[in-house]
Amino acid sequence: MRKAVLYFLFACLCAAPAHLLAQEFKVFDRTVQVHGFASQGFVHTDQNNWLTMYTSRVGSGEFTDFGANASTQITDRFRVGAQIYDRNVGHLGNWHPELDWAYADFKFRSWLGFRAGKVKTVLGLYNDTQDLDFLRTFALLPQGVYATDMRDATLSHVGGDAYGTFSLAKPLGKFSYTVYGGDHIESTDGGYPYLLQIHGIYINHSSGPTWGGDLRWMTPAKGLLVGASYENNDLTNTGLLNPSVALGGPDVTVPYWEKSRKEFVQQFYGEYVIGKLKIDAEYRRYWRDFTIFNGQFEAQAAPKSWYTAADYRLTKRLALGGYYSHFIINWVVTVPNQVEAPSESSPDRHLYDKVVAARFDLKTYWYAKVEGHFMDGYAGFQYPDGFYPQVNQAGPCAGNLCSSLKPSINALVLKTGFNF
Amino acid sequence: MKPFRFHLVVIAAAMVILASASASAGNVKIVANSSVKADSISADELRSVFLEETSSLRDGSHVEPVLEKGGPAHEEFVREYLGKSESDLQSYYRNLVFTGKASMPKSVVSDADVVAYVAKTKGAIGYISAGTSAEGVKTLGVK
Repeated sequence: MRKAVLYFLFACLCAAPAHLLAQEFKVFDRTVQVHGFASQGFVHTDQNNWLTMYTSRVGSGEFTDFGANASTQITDRFRVGAQIYDRNVGHLGNWHPELDWAYADFKFRSWLGFRAGKVKTVLGLYNDTQDLDFLRTFALLPQGVYATDMRDATLSHVGGDAYGTFSLAKPLGKFSYTVYGGDHIESTDGGYPYLLQIHGIYINHSSGPTWGGDLRWMTPAKGLLVGASYENNDLTNTGLLNPSVALGGPDVTVPYWEKSRKEFVQQFYGEYVIGKLKIDAEYRRYWRDFTIFNGQFEAQAAPKSWYTAADYRLTKRLALGGYYSHFIINWVVTVPNQVEAPSESSPDRHLYDKVVAARFDLKTYWYAKVEGHFMDGYAGFQYPDGFYPQVNQAGPCAGNLCSSLKPSINALVLKTGFNF
Repeated sequence: MKPFRFHLVVIAAAMVILASASASAGNVKIVANSSVKADSISADELRSVFLEETSSLRDGSHVEPVLEKGGPAHEEFVREYLGKSESDLQSYYRNLVFTGKASMPKSVVSDADVVAYVAKTKGAIGYISAGTSAEGVKTLGVK
């Protein structure tokens, strides 16, 4: 019933954008703007099931998201706003609406402002805009760096940001910075909690302190931007554990917790825009060292990934693009015995994705995308990276290798959406 | 004689290119509400205002940009002063709006609408074709 209501709302939103353009109203003499967006995708793969959907038969259309926001400028320097967001991608999101961001923003000068509330985390080029499908040519961002199933891992924090843009001297271009601190609250409908379910672990709360920053340089070379970001997390996940599922223990549930020993993300990036051509590249290193199973065991995951992408607006209605995404995962777990990752050449350790895409702008507010993915590897089941045992085989991997998965996968992604 | 003629052709071509470039930059004028104290604005400042990086000028005047939805003045302004394509500009504003960093700026249909809006709105700053009357608003020079 709930799904039916949500589908109905989505259909209404799809039918209505022309009438929803630029909604504004006055509250206490202040103009409040209301904006929204929605997208619907379809994914078909020739091998394996991807992104928690059953994509390998006919394909899956369980790929929907939408959001809406309201904001107002209270004074010249002070603004407030909030956005809700909801998604259902296979077993991710599960139609659970969330407060995406909600904050007050006071800008003293262009070089110093503060935001407080629930704030999207600035990390690399696209972390804070990864849900905004209408902004880009690609239906899926490079999954090595911006994995759809790990969206929640770095998305936002409840706390405060200091930010600004400054120029030391005109010939040096401009610098833009953000520093932040607060509490990172991770959704329990993301890829990591979903992966843990195969081990009989059901996370119901995930949060902890976070801090970090971003510095980007708009260089004097026209169109060239380079930057670096860092995020540090100290996450504690709590929930329930049923030892019978993976460890062969009794069929009971006991309280479960796991905690970061050390967890950080480093990201370096560059973007170059010349005319209708945009080229960008990013490198991300993620380090995650956890004590798990109530402190009895330890797990380390160290994904390293990069991509390079280019897109070109051919006409007002058509943009073409392509990227190469390179993802390598290294891991060690001590459950129940120490298991180390195989070599990088194993499909269990890597996921290389070559992508071509076309975007059609049917109206200013309505677009459609067609995208082909040619993947080598699946990067195993030790880390949430698109391929999950629940939708690919009955249980966890036998030994180090997930032999039931095919090492090469092609995917077709179709997507349409609108914004107002 | 041939080299001399060749030089003449090159010089003439260069003059045509320079003349067309300067004509292009001069096809748009910047207009502001009378509450804006400044008589001129730098190209950097103008860009910052329209990209919503700042809402005040160096002299402290509050400013609020107004855009046209299309047309020759809009196309030239976006290309020459903001250095973006139309689709890039729309993506840029949507990025700000959907991350809560700014509101979608006011946009109107014609030069006359810009003049009317700027005339009645404190701090408003816009652009119109050079040949359009700017009665009731002040024209800002661009440094």
